[in-house]
Amino acid sequence: MLTKKLRIGIVCPYGWDTPGGVQNHIRDLAEYLITAGHEVSVLAPAIDEEKLPGYVVSAGKPISIPYNGAVARVLFGPIAYARVKSWISSGNFDLLHLHEPAIPSISLLACWAAEGPMVGTFHAAAKRQKVIFAIGPILEPAIEKLSARIAVSEAARLTLTDHLETDAVIIPNGIYAKRYSQGSAQSKWTGNTIGFIGRFDEPRKGLQVLVDALPIISRFAPDVRVLVAGPGDIEETKKNIDKQLLNRFEFLGRISEEDKADFMSSVSLYVAPNTGGESFGIILAEALAGGACVVASDIPAFDSLLGAGEFGALFKSEDSTDLAKVIIDLLRDPAKREALSRQGQIHAQEFDWDVVAQQIFSVYEMAIVGGSGVSVGSDARPWNRFLSRDEEKR
Amino acid sequence: MKSFVAAIFFLLLILWYLSFLASRLDRLHHRVETSWANLDVLLQKRAAVALEIAHSGLADPASSMLLTGAAYQARDAEIQNRSMAESGLSGALGLLLADSQDAPSDLEHALLKELSLLTEKIRVAIAMHTDAVSSTQMVRKKLIVRSFRLAGTAPLPVTYEFESDVL
Repeated sequence: MLTKKLRIGIVCPYGWDTPGGVQNHIRDLAEYLITAGHEVSVLAPAIDEEKLPGYVVSAGKPISIPYNGAVARVLFGPIAYARVKSWISSGNFDLLHLHEPAIPSISLLACWAAEGPMVGTFHAAAKRQKVIFAIGPILEPAIEKLSARIAVSEAARLTLTDHLETDAVIIPNGIYAKRYSQGSAQSKWTGNTIGFIGRFDEPRKGLQVLVDALPIISRFAPDVRVLVAGPGDIEETKKNIDKQLLNRFEFLGRISEEDKADFMSSVSLYVAPNTGGESFGIILAEALAGGACVVASDIPAFDSLLGAGEFGALFKSEDSTDLAKVIIDLLRDPAKREALSRQGQIHAQEFDWDVVAQQIFSVYEMAIVGGSGVSVGSDARPWNRFLSRDEEKR
Repeated sequence: MKSFVAAIFFLLLILWYLSFLASRLDRLHHRVETSWANLDVLLQKRAAVALEIAHSGLADPASSMLLTGAAYQARDAEIQNRSMAESGLSGALGLLLADSQDAPSDLEHALLKELSLLTEKIRVAIAMHTDAVSSTQMVRKKLIVRSFRLAGTAPLPVTYEFESDVL
């Protein structure tokens, strides 16, 4: 079990104050490890250094660059490199855990600079791109320094083997399953309700697919209501909805974690119509843990998370007619809904932090064998040692 | 004069690249060794647990004999026969576990739990080792590495053929 106490350095590539799956994952992991008695320091770019929790060290302000079809808030450059190096050498770590080390970010810089036991987690799933053949040979020497690689899903693992020709162990993202199972049904959200959580104005979240399916659904289930939670431009979204159906939509805005648990146990169906760009689908794991009956598009990440339909219903991605069919089927069959959500809730225990952190930790244990801590590689070179001693004298 | 400076610069560049490649290779060999050490320790542990299972109430005399034999073989195997012996042990354990699902006592339950935890870890260790070996092989295949003998006297690592599906 988690017996040996370690000093662990975690590098987060994305801005700590912008919301995102990778940041949430790192926050939960760091807090779990600290509770287990390990010393953890997280290096991350941050806009507001005042608001950081005690275990996070800022690497500077992130810059926004377009990457992989979205805007990524990352950080690199000579000043960041110097900060990364000083964080590594002053941290005296037993092990570094780098997240997403294959994108231009402080994770890659840390991977480049450090020498010693390192574990890398790959989150993204992307289609095979030509550009990677140009970048691959540059990344290779850095990526091969990692003693172990973790992919968060089968999709992320395939991306890794495709792009960098290296394999990885699959360890899913973690959730606090107990928190979600403690939700209670709220009468304002029960009935023939369909739930949706996410940035609904982003096309790849697929709210439009659900909107297009609603005319058919409402013909068979006249009292159906769609509850949409999450940040986004409500007025702009309402313009794309048929006037006659507008009263079936309810926009709740951003909801708290406790509300989320209640939400999941209240709604009849939780729908995730995402059209792509999803690597793991943490929201589905949360929905399952909360006891919701899940309907999701059959993109690879969701398909594998839902066990090809064993733990939730799947529909053909971007096909509103198919979505309508699946939803109507389930709304008419409470027994089937009950069975799916029960199966799902059991399955969701696999994503609980108690399980996931244990898996990550056993990778840590294997990575540190034979190693004597992490150091900055270039410090070991004779001429650099000479130079830095010169600097100290000044 | 100009071409002389350029030649020197070029030579230094090549030398730097060679030393870079050599340190890369050194690191990779180190990775192969540590991941093997990991795997070795875990496999030894598994053989020990297998022996305990063989002597517990879980196994009937016949499978106990089979398991004891396989466990000893796995422990004493030479490196060349190692993967065959370990696969044999996996097979024997698989046979036993397949028909010993009926209510074991606490001690036996703990043994089985330990075994499944070990199996999980072994799976990860195999993945790590195979990966280290294949990246080392890839770098060592490079013409420049072979012609300058950057690998020195280190033996070429070979993948450990472990049938992970019978684990």
